[in-house]
Amino acid sequence: MSLFIREVKVLDPQSPHHLKRVNVLIKEGVITSIDNKEHQADTTIEAKGQFLTPGLFDLKANFCDPGFEHREDIYSGCQLAAASGYTGVATLPNTAPVVQAKSHIEYLKSKSRDCLTDIYPMAAVTIDALGEDLTEMIDLHEAGAIAFTDGNQPMWHTDIMLKSLIYLQKFDGLLINLPEDKLLTRFGTMNEGIVSTGLGLKGMPALAEHLMIKRDLDILAYSGGRLHFSNISSAESVKLIKKAKKNGLKITCDVSIHHLLHTDQAIVGYDANYKINPPLRENRDRKALLKGLKDGTIDAIVSAHSPQDEESKKLEFDRAEDGILGLQTMIPSLLSLDEELDPSEWIDKITSRPRAILKLAPVTIAESEKANVTLIDPKKKWKYDQKSNLSKSVNSPYYGKELTGQVSATLNGEKIYQTPS
Amino acid sequence: MSHLSSKHLLGIKDLTKEDIHLIFETADNFKDVINRPIKKVPSLRDITIANVFFENSTRTKLSFELAEKRLSADVINFSSSGSSVKKGETLLDTVNNILAMKVDMIVMRHSSPGAPHFLANHISANIVNAGDGTHEHPTQALLDAYSMRERVGDLEGKNVAIIGDIIHSRVALSNIFALQKLGANVMICGPATLIPKYLSSFGVKIVSDVREALAWCDIANVLRIQLERQQIKYFPSLREYSLYFGVNKQLLDSLNKEIVIMHPGPINRGVELTSDVADSHHSIILDQVENGVAVRMAVLYLLAGTVG
Repeated sequence: MSLFIREVKVLDPQSPHHLKRVNVLIKEGVITSIDNKEHQADTTIEAKGQFLTPGLFDLKANFCDPGFEHREDIYSGCQLAAASGYTGVATLPNTAPVVQAKSHIEYLKSKSRDCLTDIYPMAAVTIDALGEDLTEMIDLHEAGAIAFTDGNQPMWHTDIMLKSLIYLQKFDGLLINLPEDKLLTRFGTMNEGIVSTGLGLKGMPALAEHLMIKRDLDILAYSGGRLHFSNISSAESVKLIKKAKKNGLKITCDVSIHHLLHTDQAIVGYDANYKINPPLRENRDRKALLKGLKDGTIDAIVSAHSPQDEESKKLEFDRAEDGILGLQTMIPSLLSLDEELDPSEWIDKITSRPRAILKLAPVTIAESEKANVTLIDPKKKWKYDQKSNLSKSVNSPYYGKELTGQVSATLNGEKIYQTPS
Repeated sequence: MSHLSSKHLLGIKDLTKEDIHLIFETADNFKDVINRPIKKVPSLRDITIANVFFENSTRTKLSFELAEKRLSADVINFSSSGSSVKKGETLLDTVNNILAMKVDMIVMRHSSPGAPHFLANHISANIVNAGDGTHEHPTQALLDAYSMRERVGDLEGKNVAIIGDIIHSRVALSNIFALQKLGANVMICGPATLIPKYLSSFGVKIVSDVREALAWCDIANVLRIQLERQQIKYFPSLREYSLYFGVNKQLLDSLNKEIVIMHPGPINRGVELTSDVADSHHSIILDQVENGVAVRMAVLYLLAGTVG
C-alpha cells in the first residue's frame, strides 16, 4: 500500500525538510521519498496548507481501563488518540485496580496491540498509588512499564520519594511526580486567589506546588536518579525548575494544555468542566508557563486527558470530580494560542521531547524512516459534538463548540487513520 | 410594579445599587404591613414557593416561610441535612422533582458555594439564594444594611466593621458587596487564620486588633464563630478567641462614642459577644430579625413579578 501526500509543509525541527513544502511518498509504512516530484500511489492526499509533523506523543492520559470503562476504555482511547494525531500515549496508572502488577501491564499491552496508537503503560510507584508501600518496580519495568508515577496522586511521603528515586536507578527508571503538598490543598477546589475568595470556594495555594518542587529538588540532589514533574501550573514552579536545570539537576517537566489556555477566571460561572488538579491559576502563571515553554524550562505539553462521566461532573462545583478531556482538542487548542506560541515552538513539546524523556527512539520526517507522522489541517473548521467526539465522555468546555484546526490523518507504519471529511 | 435587574437573587454581587434601594423601599411598605393587626397581603396568591434547605437552618427558614405566608404564597418545605447525593439523588434531580409539582420559586440553602448558580443554569424557576456554603447570603446582607440604614440613616461614608470568622462566613462577602454598593467603608477584623488571604483586594481594610476596629467604626457586625464549618483547626481555643477577639461591655465603654452592634445569629454568647453587649441598647440584633421578614417579603414580591 502506498500513499502520496502532495504539497505539505513539514513541521519537524529535527528534519532537514523543516518548514519546507514538499511531496511525500510513503510505501509499506516507510517514507521512501521527500521531494518536489510527482509519484504514483494507491492514495493521494492533496495537503496544500496542511502540516506534516512527527506522530504526536502524550505523557499524561487516563484511559480508565480497567475499572471505569464507562468513561473510556483502551479501544475508545486508542481510536480517539489516533484521530487526535497521537501515535504514542503514556497512560496513567490510576485505574481500578491501579497499574501495579506485571499482569496489568500485559493486559494493557495486549489489548492495545492492534491499535494504531502505541500504548506505553506507566506503573504506580506505590501500592494503590497511596504513597506508602513500593510496587515491584523492577518486575514492572521488565514487563514493559515505561515510567513510574502515582499519576494524579502526589508522592507525599518524603522517605518513600527518596527510596523510589534510589531504587529506580538500577535500570535508570524515570520517576514522575505530581508536585502537590496535600496538607495545603485539603478541601480546596480551585486556585487560591482573588477569584476563589469572591466565589466563596476554598482555595488551593500555588504554594502547595512550590513546596513539593523544592522538596523534590533537594531529594534529587541527594539521591541522584531521574525525575520528571508532571503538570506544573504556576510561575514560581517555572522559576524553580529553570534554576535547578541551570544547576545541572536531571529534571524535566510538563504542562497541560489547559493551563496554557485558561485561568481561574474560567470558574466564575461555577462550570465544573474547568475543575482540574492542579487547578487553573492566574494569568501571570499562564504567561510564565508559556515563557517556560519557549526558553526550554518546560519540556512537554500534555493533554491531561481525564474522562469523567456526567454523573461526576454535572454537580455543584465542590462536589464534581477533577478532569478535562484533552486529546481531541489538543491541536485546535494549540493553534488557538497562535499569537502567543508559534507551531515551531510547540511541535517538539508534543513529539520529540516527550519521547526523549521516556528514552524512546526518536521519530522524524526523513527518507527511509518509518512513517510515524501526523497530518494537520490548521484552517479546518469542525464542530466538537456528539458526532465528532470519539471519547466515551463529554467533560470538555469545548463540547458543542466550533473549533479551528483538525488532524486529517495519522500514520504509524502501515496503520493509517483518516478523519472523515 | 418595578422589577429587579435579575429574575434570581443569587448574590449581592449581581445586584445594582438601584436594585438594593428598590428592595429597601418595598421592604418599608412591608414593614408597615407586618406591624398591622392583619399582617397579611394577597400579593403572591397563586404563587407556590418551595423552601429547599440542604443545610440546617432555623431563623432563615422561619423568616422566609413567614415572609411567604404574609404574602399569601403557597409554601412547601424540603429539608435534608447533609447532601442529597448521599441518598443517591443529585441536586438537580431533587429540585426538578419539586418543580414537577408546579412550583414557581425556589428558596435554597446549600453547603456548596455556587449551588444556586449551578441550578440557575439548568432550571427555569426563580431562585433565591438563602446561603450557599461560604459564598453569599444575600438576604442577610440586605436585612443587615436595611437595619443599619434604619438606625443610622444613609450608609454613604459610614464605617462598618465586620468582626470574627470571615473565612467560614457567607454573610461577610455579601455584607462587603452590599455595603460598598451603598457607599459605606468596610473594615475586617479577626484572627488572621480566619480571614481569606486575598480579601484585601476587595477594597476593605484588615486589622487584627478588635479595639482598633471598634474605635474606627459606626457599626460593628459581629459574626458567629462557625465551629461546625471548621474542618481543621484555625485557632487554639474559644477562650483565647473571646479574650482577644470577643466584643464585651468593657471594650465598648472604653470608646468615646456610641456604636451599633449587630450579629446575624445565632450568637455564641460569651465567645464573640458577651451577653451584656448582646442585650444592651447598642444592639439591634432583634431589629435585624424583624427586618428580615420585611426584606424577604420585598425580595420575593419583586422576583414574583418575573414568574412565568
